[in-house]
Amino acid sequence: MSKEILETLVRLFALLSRQDGGVTQEEYDFVKDYLIAELNEELANEYVKRFRLAVVGFPFKGDKTSKGSTEQTDTDYISELEKYIEKNNKENTYTYIAWDSSQTNVSYHIDYLHKTILPVAEKIAESQFKLSTEKQVQGEIKVTESIKVNREVEKITKAQLDLYQKVLILVRIFELITIGGFSRSRKGVIEAVADYFKLKSEYKDLGAFVLSKSSNQLKYHNPDTGTDEDLKEAGEILVAGAEKSDNELHKSLIFENFQGELIFKYVIVTNDELNKQGGNADETTSAVKKNKLKSEGIFFVKYLGTGENLKRNGFPMRSGVVYQFPAGSTIRSGRGISLYFNEVNEFFMEILKSTKLSFTASNIEYRFPNNAIGVQPMTLSYPQGRLVGIMGGSGAGKTTLMNVLSGIESPYSGNVYINGMDVHNDTDKIDGVVGFIAQDDLLLEDLTVYQNLYYNAKLCLAQLKENEIHDRVIDTLDSLGLEHIKEIKVGNVLNKKISGGQRKRLNIALELIREPAVMFVDEPTSGLSSKDSQNVVDLLKELALRGKLIFVVIHQPSADIYKTFDEMIILDRGGYLAFQGNPIEAIKYFKRETNQADADKEHDNPEEMFKIIEKEVYDDYGRETGKRQFSPIDWNRRFKQKFQIKEVPTVTEQPPSSLHRPNVAKQSVLFTVRDFLSKVSNLQYMLINLLEAPVLAMLLAFIIRFQNEPKTENYVFRYNDNIPAYILICIIISLFMGLTVSAEEIIKDRKIQKREKFLNLSRFAYLSSKISILFMLSAIQTFTFVVIGNAILGIQGELFSYWGILFAVSCFANVLGLNISSTFNSVITIYITIPLLLIPQLILSGIIFRYEKMNHAISEKGKVPLLADIMVSRWAFEAISVDHFMHNKFQKDFQELDAETSRDQFKVKFWIPELKNRVNRSIENREKSDKNDSIKSILKKDLDLVKNEIKIEKAYLNLLKDTDVDKKMTIESFDTPTGDNLNVYLDSLSNKFQNKINDAEKDKEKMPDLIRKQRDKKYNLNKQKDSYFNDGLSGFVRNIDVKDMLIEYKGKLLQQIDPVFLEPKISNNPIDYRTHFMAPKKHFFGKLFDTYWFNTSVIWLFTFVLYLTLYFDTIKGIGTLLEKIFGGIYRMFSALKNKKS
Amino acid sequence: MRNFIICTTLAIFLFACGESEKTGKDLLKEDKKTGKTTKAALTKEVLTDIINSIPLSLEVSFLIMDLNIPYDKKALSSADDVSKFNNNYKQAVNLGIYSTDLGYANIYSQTQDALNYLTGVKMMADGLQIGQHFDFQTIKKLASSKNNIDSLLLVTNKNLEDINKHLQEKGRPDLTILILTGGWIESLHLTCEVTKKKPNPLLKSRIGDQKIILDQLLLLLSFYDDNANIKSLIEQMNRLQKMYENVKITIKTKDVPIKTSGDIIEAGGESESIIEITPKDLENITNVTKEIRNKMAE
Repeated sequence: MSKEILETLVRLFALLSRQDGGVTQEEYDFVKDYLIAELNEELANEYVKRFRLAVVGFPFKGDKTSKGSTEQTDTDYISELEKYIEKNNKENTYTYIAWDSSQTNVSYHIDYLHKTILPVAEKIAESQFKLSTEKQVQGEIKVTESIKVNREVEKITKAQLDLYQKVLILVRIFELITIGGFSRSRKGVIEAVADYFKLKSEYKDLGAFVLSKSSNQLKYHNPDTGTDEDLKEAGEILVAGAEKSDNELHKSLIFENFQGELIFKYVIVTNDELNKQGGNADETTSAVKKNKLKSEGIFFVKYLGTGENLKRNGFPMRSGVVYQFPAGSTIRSGRGISLYFNEVNEFFMEILKSTKLSFTASNIEYRFPNNAIGVQPMTLSYPQGRLVGIMGGSGAGKTTLMNVLSGIESPYSGNVYINGMDVHNDTDKIDGVVGFIAQDDLLLEDLTVYQNLYYNAKLCLAQLKENEIHDRVIDTLDSLGLEHIKEIKVGNVLNKKISGGQRKRLNIALELIREPAVMFVDEPTSGLSSKDSQNVVDLLKELALRGKLIFVVIHQPSADIYKTFDEMIILDRGGYLAFQGNPIEAIKYFKRETNQADADKEHDNPEEMFKIIEKEVYDDYGRETGKRQFSPIDWNRRFKQKFQIKEVPTVTEQPPSSLHRPNVAKQSVLFTVRDFLSKVSNLQYMLINLLEAPVLAMLLAFIIRFQNEPKTENYVFRYNDNIPAYILICIIISLFMGLTVSAEEIIKDRKIQKREKFLNLSRFAYLSSKISILFMLSAIQTFTFVVIGNAILGIQGELFSYWGILFAVSCFANVLGLNISSTFNSVITIYITIPLLLIPQLILSGIIFRYEKMNHAISEKGKVPLLADIMVSRWAFEAISVDHFMHNKFQKDFQELDAETSRDQFKVKFWIPELKNRVNRSIENREKSDKNDSIKSILKKDLDLVKNEIKIEKAYLNLLKDTDVDKKMTIESFDTPTGDNLNVYLDSLSNKFQNKINDAEKDKEKMPDLIRKQRDKKYNLNKQKDSYFNDGLSGFVRNIDVKDMLIEYKGKLLQQIDPVFLEPKISNNPIDYRTHFMAPKKHFFGKLFDTYWFNTSVIWLFTFVLYLTLYFDTIKGIGTLLEKIFGGIYRMFSALKNKKS
Repeated sequence: MRNFIICTTLAIFLFACGESEKTGKDLLKEDKKTGKTTKAALTKEVLTDIINSIPLSLEVSFLIMDLNIPYDKKALSSADDVSKFNNNYKQAVNLGIYSTDLGYANIYSQTQDALNYLTGVKMMADGLQIGQHFDFQTIKKLASSKNNIDSLLLVTNKNLEDINKHLQEKGRPDLTILILTGGWIESLHLTCEVTKKKPNPLLKSRIGDQKIILDQLLLLLSFYDDNANIKSLIEQMNRLQKMYENVKITIKTKDVPIKTSGDIIEAGGESESIIEITPKDLENITNVTKEIRNKMAE
């Protein structure tokens, strides 16, 4: 009991008992007994002395003076005491050293006050105290008298009392009246007090409760009028006894053969009285809100009658005495009747009756994937409105049990039902009924407290309007005491912006705002101060009082917290149920089971209980042996023998669901906005991500822009040999930026996602939001990169062709990053994976290493290796290079002509001479007299090759109509005339091609003039070429450094030079897309597509496939499968090893 | 997802907008429609005859060196401009120019310059797809040693012949003519520049002599005046021809009795051409030559 209450109470006792002719022995004893019961002896004596002093009107220090509220100093008090002594010490019985008021030393005055003058003054006062023998009840009260009383009340009442304390004081002073009788003057005092406390409307009911001698006489006797007034709130009375109370309005609880009756008075502590008394409007409304959740009631109880040996929380209850009955209290009779707080409370909780729940876990058992048992078979059953604790040592399976009960994990056997619906199987029906508050932090650290709650509310309360959501959020924050920090960013554990307790409360608020019917809370108090812990548990208790069923895993609770629970599940190692029931009963049970002497006393320290459960056997030397006296199985068996868990009757109505999800599109928008805000408010993140690209572009482009014109030392784009490398770096940077920006996205949200999965929010919406934000960022990043990079390097007119590819690549990397983010368990693994994904992209991009110079195991002449085809870098590089080369503002005019010339040139210079060589060799070989096998095979090869190759040039085949190629080109029938014919044919072919070349060359020469005439008067070939054409790139895509322009591969001649001019032949296989690297076009389904668009589509196709694997979490699935397989192998090996050893 | 769609459509839209200009192919098609008749071709024999009558540029260089005139780099073309020559016409005339410069630098043992011109020659030859006829390894080897001038002459000559042959086979005699014209202009330019600094009657008459060559070249070029570049070249050459109008060449034939020594009869007489050229004309020729040559190397 606080000092403030005691001070006030003692003074009020004194004031009250002084009325009507002085203090009687009975009254004095009451005060004395009361104080001794509440305090230790020394303190009690101190306060009894104060009572005596107060009765004789001793001036106490700090009393409010009528002058005002100025603080009384020590010196003021000394002078007041001097005056008091002078007045009452007329016979000079007491002497003391006179006071030297001129002293400046402060400690002198303090010393003088406490050691010299105060003891003397108190002695004088004590000597005046006398007990009176009889009361003289006054009939009429003078007005002056009542004013005096009012002033006195005001003087002695400490202002800082809260409502609860005020109610308590009123009850106690009414009790004093039961001793001395209720007179008018006493009523005056009480009224003055009630008035001052602003409890004017309640005090009569309280008085009636305290003063009544039986439930039938629960009436307020007004001494002024002499009449009995009925109770204002008769519904706030519960009468427990053998019979029903006479008053219909009273609530009744029947105990058969109960001697006497127990009367409970429920007092709702609201600030309504205060609100009526004024204050400005804003304060009023906020105060009302604050108390919506906090409108907690207090119970008082008194026993009337004899014969029942009642104990309240283990202490005997005396008849007629009013006791407090706080949460967690019990009253037991000697005959075994027990009454728990919860039972009493249920009578007064309206909401408890309106929601109906039955939660039953029947015979559930849980096994881990490795078949170890996590929860041993047990049955649990609860109705609505319970706060259920789950306790146990570490490894007892607390969280596992909760996961099974909440539906996160499926039990191995048994079922969990809420109102008859299976939590694990009828998930649709119980959708939104269950809420889960994990131990983890589920907050978005870059959002404010308000935003965190707001977006959460939007995602699960779609039925509410915007302003309703806002109100709800503010209300919730208010009720959790978080309103004042609503605009503060949450921050993370390392960069703390709000305290741990506030974080925890906000985490709880996320579920709280939805008010699910059944809630599971995992260790809400871990890491919190005892005050914060108490607050959090109080909050949960309040929810339970409002009809929710709440399961809480709790670790090392304080006695107060422990008592707050209605039910306690005690688990022992290995998932065994050691006890289930009332928490106080739990401790008693374990003490009884181990025959401890104090078993029947009230205990509230849960630690003792665990000491008993885990008690170890001592050896002969008194040391612990590490072996438990009672194994978990023993405790489980004992519990099952002693207790039978009763299943609550199944409620059949649909449990209230508090979840209204918005549709997928709205969810996507909400997720996106939330994510966007969260990212935007992280300045560091934004700066790095937005500046990364331009800075890299600037650095890269500046370094590779060199003074490449020998005469003037100027920069000319055409001569910058670094362009192919630049394209590759662009791609790699896009990949890298895309990967890094996304790799942490999902892993960061993993905990939040777990919760959102619980709410059945759409994964599609979640991924869409991630993807749209990342794609947006990628678009910006790649765009700034290309704009700056290309501008510095003087790449003109290629902005969108570069950007289109780089954006696609970056998006691909985004989705790839999301995949690895959702696959791996730690950030470290993810960052180790990034090089693993990037380096092959570099190796197989086709620029660093040429495909034709790769191991033949993976490569193939004339085609891009399949392995490279799965590299996005290769598609991107080819697309940009080919497009840049073919479609730049210079080359586009010459592209067709160049392509024609290149093809014809190749025929004339390499293909025809090669064929002629073969023909001539064949003639020679044919004429050889001794044809051995090797010559024959060469001959056959040559003939086949020539035959095949000749057929390729179909356009001129009619020149050869005299020779039947198919027939003649065999070892048997090939002869010299055929060979000669072929040679002639090839020569004429060569001429035809040469003519075409000449025409094309002439056309090319004409071109600048034509352009000047018809399109652009200022056209200058050299200028155009300098600004748009790049020699390095041209050399690369035309493969000019290749040694063999032509190679033989699988009976065909393959052109190695000028791949960019070589249009691929459409394959007979429709799905065959494979061509040589740097082909200007791609074939697919019998059609030719521009390489740029084809490759772009391939990259987007990759991205889409990765999106599918992300959506279905395929990679993770494969990962888990592999993990299982390897785990199995590993176990097998270790088992073998063990066997051997 | 939505953003992706928007971005893609946007990208497609932007790309689609970019292509509205007529490309070279379109322009050519239109050009072909208007149609032009082709001229009668020059016969192989005529061409070969004329070509053989044109002196090798190396001869001029020898002449200059024999006159003890110092090496003048400024008169030569710049070997750095190779990348500027982006069509067959330019490549051909500059191949001629570079060959002349190569010979001149080589004779004066300016090895580094010679190598630079050699690179130029190679680039031009590659551009004309006749690189295979230049034995660059050998030329490089010869060029780095002064003693091999005869062999160098031989190789160069041989190369040129090969090129002629090849280009004719290919059906591009016009390129041969352009190579020759380029080489000829450069050597005329060189001679003029040297004469300007150090007048010399021998060189002067040499310059005058070129009137005949010029006429022959113009005759050759006239077969290809459907090519715009060649046409403009002809126009410039015509200007040069005008400058030569006043140059008089009279050929005196000394009557020499026919000598017989055994079976061999030495026939013919010595002919001597007398060149009359005024300083004014010389100046004009020098200037116009320089103009044409600079235009070629532009």
